[in-house]
Amino acid sequence: MRPGSRYPHLFTPLRLGPTTIDNRVVFTARLTNYARQGLPTEQHAAYYAARAAGGAGLIVTEEHTTHPSDRVQPDLIRGYDPAVVPGYRRITDAVHAHRVPILAQLNHNGAHGTSVHTRQPLWAPSAVANPAYREVPKAMDGPDISALIDGFGVVADHSVAGGFDGIELSCAQSSIVRAFLSPATNLRTDRYGGPLVNRARLLLELISEVRRAIGPQRVLGVRLCGDELMHGGTTLEEAVALARLVEHTGKVDYISTSMGVAGVSLYLTEATMHVPPGYALFVANAIRRSVDLPVIGMGRFNSPLQAERALADGHCDLVALVRGQIADPDFAAKARVGAAEAIRSCLSCNQECTARVGDGRWLGCVANPRAGRESEPPLVPVLPKRARPTGGPAGELGDAAGAATRPEVLVVGAGPAGLQTALTAARAGHSVRVVEREPHAGGQVRIAAAAPGRVELGDLVRNQIAECRRLQVPIVYDTVADVDLVRRTAPSAVVVATGARPVLPDWAGRHPRVVDSRAVLRGAVFPTGSVLVVDELGFHHGPSVAELLADRGCAVEILTSATMVGRDLSATLDLETWCVRAAAKGITETCERRVVELKPAGVDSPTGGRHHDDPSWHEDRAVGTGAPADAQDAAGALRVTIAHPAGPQREERTVDWIVCAYPAGPQDELYWQLRIDNGTAATQLFRVGDCVAPRLAHAAVLEGDRVGAALGLPRATSTRGGNGR
Amino acid sequence: MLLRSQLRLACGITAPNRLLFGPHRTNLGSAEGRGLSAEHVAYYHRRAAGGAGVVVTETASVHPEDWPYAQAPLASACPQGWSAIAEACHAEGALAVAALGHAGAQGSSAHSQAALWAPSPVPDAVTREVPKAMSVEEIAAVVTGFADAARRAARAGMSGVEVDAGQQSLLRQFLSPLTNQRTDDYGSPDRCRFVREILRAVRTALGPGRVLGLRLSCDELADTRGITVDAASELARDVHADLTAAGGLDYLVATRGSGDSLAAAQGSRPDGHGPTESATPLAPRIRAAIQPEVAVCAQGGIVDPEQAEGLLVEGSAEVVEMTRAQIADAELGTRLHGFAPDAEADSPGPRPRPCVLCNQHCRVDYPRAPAVSCMGDPSSGHETDPEEGVVSLALPAPPAGADRSAPGTVSGPRQPTPLTEEATGTCQPDGNGTPDEDTASPAPPAQPVEVLVIGAGPAGLETARVAATAGHAVRVVERADRTGGMLRVAAAGHGRHRLARLADWLHTECEQLGVTITTGYTAADRDIDAQLATGGAVVLCSGGRPGRIGYRVGAGVRRMDDAALLGLLASGAEPPHGPVAVYDRVGGPVALSIVEELAAREVAVTLVTPDHAPAMQLAPVGALSPAALRLARLGVPVQRRQRVLGAGNGRIQLEGVHTGEVCEVDAAVLVDCGFRLPADQLWHGTRLGMDRAGDVIAPRGVQEAILDGRRAAKRLQEVRLW
Repeated sequence: MRPGSRYPHLFTPLRLGPTTIDNRVVFTARLTNYARQGLPTEQHAAYYAARAAGGAGLIVTEEHTTHPSDRVQPDLIRGYDPAVVPGYRRITDAVHAHRVPILAQLNHNGAHGTSVHTRQPLWAPSAVANPAYREVPKAMDGPDISALIDGFGVVADHSVAGGFDGIELSCAQSSIVRAFLSPATNLRTDRYGGPLVNRARLLLELISEVRRAIGPQRVLGVRLCGDELMHGGTTLEEAVALARLVEHTGKVDYISTSMGVAGVSLYLTEATMHVPPGYALFVANAIRRSVDLPVIGMGRFNSPLQAERALADGHCDLVALVRGQIADPDFAAKARVGAAEAIRSCLSCNQECTARVGDGRWLGCVANPRAGRESEPPLVPVLPKRARPTGGPAGELGDAAGAATRPEVLVVGAGPAGLQTALTAARAGHSVRVVEREPHAGGQVRIAAAAPGRVELGDLVRNQIAECRRLQVPIVYDTVADVDLVRRTAPSAVVVATGARPVLPDWAGRHPRVVDSRAVLRGAVFPTGSVLVVDELGFHHGPSVAELLADRGCAVEILTSATMVGRDLSATLDLETWCVRAAAKGITETCERRVVELKPAGVDSPTGGRHHDDPSWHEDRAVGTGAPADAQDAAGALRVTIAHPAGPQREERTVDWIVCAYPAGPQDELYWQLRIDNGTAATQLFRVGDCVAPRLAHAAVLEGDRVGAALGLPRATSTRGGNGR
Repeated sequence: MLLRSQLRLACGITAPNRLLFGPHRTNLGSAEGRGLSAEHVAYYHRRAAGGAGVVVTETASVHPEDWPYAQAPLASACPQGWSAIAEACHAEGALAVAALGHAGAQGSSAHSQAALWAPSPVPDAVTREVPKAMSVEEIAAVVTGFADAARRAARAGMSGVEVDAGQQSLLRQFLSPLTNQRTDDYGSPDRCRFVREILRAVRTALGPGRVLGLRLSCDELADTRGITVDAASELARDVHADLTAAGGLDYLVATRGSGDSLAAAQGSRPDGHGPTESATPLAPRIRAAIQPEVAVCAQGGIVDPEQAEGLLVEGSAEVVEMTRAQIADAELGTRLHGFAPDAEADSPGPRPRPCVLCNQHCRVDYPRAPAVSCMGDPSSGHETDPEEGVVSLALPAPPAGADRSAPGTVSGPRQPTPLTEEATGTCQPDGNGTPDEDTASPAPPAQPVEVLVIGAGPAGLETARVAATAGHAVRVVERADRTGGMLRVAAAGHGRHRLARLADWLHTECEQLGVTITTGYTAADRDIDAQLATGGAVVLCSGGRPGRIGYRVGAGVRRMDDAALLGLLASGAEPPHGPVAVYDRVGGPVALSIVEELAAREVAVTLVTPDHAPAMQLAPVGALSPAALRLARLGVPVQRRQRVLGAGNGRIQLEGVHTGEVCEVDAAVLVDCGFRLPADQLWHGTRLGMDRAGDVIAPRGVQEAILDGRRAAKRLQEVRLW
């Protein structure tokens, strides 16, 4: 196949002002927190260079703040500080080595921030508090506006000195320019407020100032918000009019699009898997039909086909693909050679690239444990190199494909931790075998992905399985690994990745209709009628199962001892969409309550619920999946007593089923058995993932990668593992 | 006064007085390297110079896998910092003690990106994160870590160490039946074994003549399910006996709380809602149980010298921890001179600036938190900042070409200064010895300026106080009939009464400095013109005014803004008859305090919030759960995720934020707690000699007002130059 022919639009070069870019895949701006002391770092350079090496057509860096009055995060790049220039140079040199142009995004967050790090009033067009940060800003006076414009000019100068190919002006979700443009936040009565031409004055002045600074030989782009999703805010019609004004300056080379406002509607700026791909293309479409400038469209694209369609259908000229390339830096290169199946898909989970960054830590990725670590040296191997078994006894595991020789590394458990260990170790050149007791891989992730709207979470495991296949790592299913199997296999290292087991609260007793959320999601039980979901986790677990049951027609109440349901959904931008869906599905929420007692109700009414005893699920029934044998005996409603945190008040509920979303326990028996087993003493023993401590998927993947790399002995010839060496 | 008397500890070291500055998170360190910074040195030195007897430094992790927050110190990276701190504190006569700890399951895996360590895989009550049960090898590594850290601290010249078995500690997690479910030697019945091994190793590592302190959670506030006072007493007795041959314990800080239950969360640093040590004494019960050679330190919301002295006089404790009081006033110790309830004004020096128990700036244990500071003294935690600090430091030169001092620009943000030999060597006051004024006051002016301050809120009073300290002639005019502005208004809210003390203090200081204060006078443009015409300066501190409403209110509902309602309560008038709906658009402490105050006065009140839960902005400072609990106790109905559409005929119309569904609640009064606007009618743009401070720039908090006031006072020097 001719390179790029599968996606002809995506790989058609495009003239962008003074530059021509090789393809339409843009790595757009996203905050990384890689800066230290306000300066760019090696971490930045390696991160952008990896995306350039991976074939991106254009890179736009994270925001560089243009004035000391803006410090929304402790580690923002302070573009106004001349000390940034050497760091800029390192980034641009690293990216230019791959012949990819790179632009600096300039931003001032205005009232989308906090003054705690500057101890100065926030700046804004008017004294309107941002709904998220809730600080009343100072309405900027004339000297403030001049200083702001000067700041953009200074940073543009630094960017030129640092080798950037141009500038993108951020006028979208978290920008002071957006605040000036929007009638909701600009209440000024001077020449910067009122009709659009006045509200756009700051932007037009910034365009002039920056174009003056960078000259005609560099690119200038403007990122606009097409819909603020805010009462009285900018809507599409005005965004189109603004785009025309911008084009009319003759000084701008492209328009990038966005939607949503930080603190108000960011959940539609960096949407998660619950929002369909391409959701924001209407903005690019409307603007593209009104201007001649190239337009970048955005909207959670994570496959080349989606991007190709957006171009082919005429919605946009370029495609913003930031999370997709965080998850796989080689996204574009793989698409170009027609190997889209090899792309490690972004899950749109927002856990490490949004929530983690929001907490002030550096950007990572659940799917790609090396994101943000591109500059780190490889880990030191701990496993001594062993003489390759040359013949040896035929595979003790019998007929499993690829298992004919003795593996160096035996991984027990094909959840995200085990698979990541296996593929990282295999990349390092080890022969690896994975054994899994289930007929399928994926562990908890596979279960979680069964919930409504969560299917893309499963891409984590699909990515890993596909990579294991390419690396010829055999996964042996339906096999319970015990000490004996490890002894017979006699690997150099065994990595226990046996995951977690559900733990039900004490009050649950052993009632068959008090079940763990995972049992519902994987279809082992089918609650019907009225269901109480008791959520003591605060993340997706409880809401997921509540939605699933509500979709099936159950009357669902979700109850938590926390002050709100879904506390941790806020950081991943999943909370608002959950609230909307929960209301639409009739799910009721009860906060600050605990279940203290359970008793079967006196009045029996057959609930119609049924247990599906999945023979492939060798679960210890005592801890969590209910006891199907007792189900008939225990028919009848459940009466629960609910305690109030404040004192002796008690409430009661009568429901048909109770589903618990509780912290799990480690399933670590094999690990402890192996620790004391003399027969496997020669085998190095590791454990990764939930069997260490049940946590979220990113912890499992990181741990798997860490252990897999630590096992690895670098081999000079190939990254292909398996038996072929 | 007993508080100022010496105390000889069992190890033979004598503390100059009984005032202890306890360990707390400061965020003054750096995530890179996890060492202590020059800012730490200056911070602790300022308290030692200000009269603290024992300075305990920020808890350092004894094991690298324990990384509870970005800037959390790591013991192996601390010796250089400890050495500088020891030198600085010893020079002032204070003891310098290094706190050592491990946060266990109460830490964070975000920085280490590895599983948390704990005795058993019991999920943390707050984060719900399941930790990893420690192996015996890991237990041994932590014991060794404590010993190594103690050795390093002693070698660095610290007076000793304090082992953390307090609210946020792995040691407490081992001691508590709530979190230790082990079945091996470290579990029941000997849950103390881990702590005993650590203390033994630390005592040995320290050697003789060094202080060994223990911070112990003596009551987990979980009935008999957790650590009880009796269990803690027994433990203290046992570990001391176990150590006697090696020197025993020197002191024990009795704390309460665990972070393992909603109610206990407030045990760690009670705000204005209590409970304080004075209200529910813990120290005397521990003291009664253990040997007299172990000095017991009382802790928990003790912020007034009278309170502290009382505890010592009645024999409840030998030492008193007053951490927040010394964040609020670093010179607390020296200001105790001649200070006692019975001592009359023969030495009317400055009285200590009160801690108001607001927790708003000193409680910085949340992601992206800034450095520790204080509402009343914003220079706390910023000691080395040339703009607002107290100690002049020779800071490393800014990067070449950086120009952050150009007029009209904002100064660059402060960064932790890596501790180099050079930096530590210069970490001393610039030759003036003990600073007796804690503000960034300019040198006395050659020519005093006549200053008119318009408005006697916190910004105005602080402007006046600092300007008068610098020798300017200051006159303050205030429209209301008393000073204090929003401080006094907010103080009418439930649990917020201590805010008035800061107003009182500012007023008294101003009076003692000879500031003329005129209340009941409404300044006008002509006052400003006249003042400027005669070469004087004007600082406009006229505060804020109610903001935009955005909905219609018809007949049958009385609408008031939060300040109006609080003003009514402050004046002693009867609260409005219910039912009252309080609409909280801010989510901070104000609306909450109104609701609680009304409910306490048995007014029927409903809280309406567009947020997911009431008072969500309090979450970072740890006050959300206690607030929710109090609201539940009061039985206040809460309308979540609702915004007000309009009001009339005794009803408030609400709209679901996410659903758009409209509903109504009954209310005769609607109290709107929204965002305020600047009361800037007298501000007509920049004029020579005229400046502004506080809410008139942008309505913000008290600290911002005070900081603005200090800066405005400093800029008066520039007026003279003009």
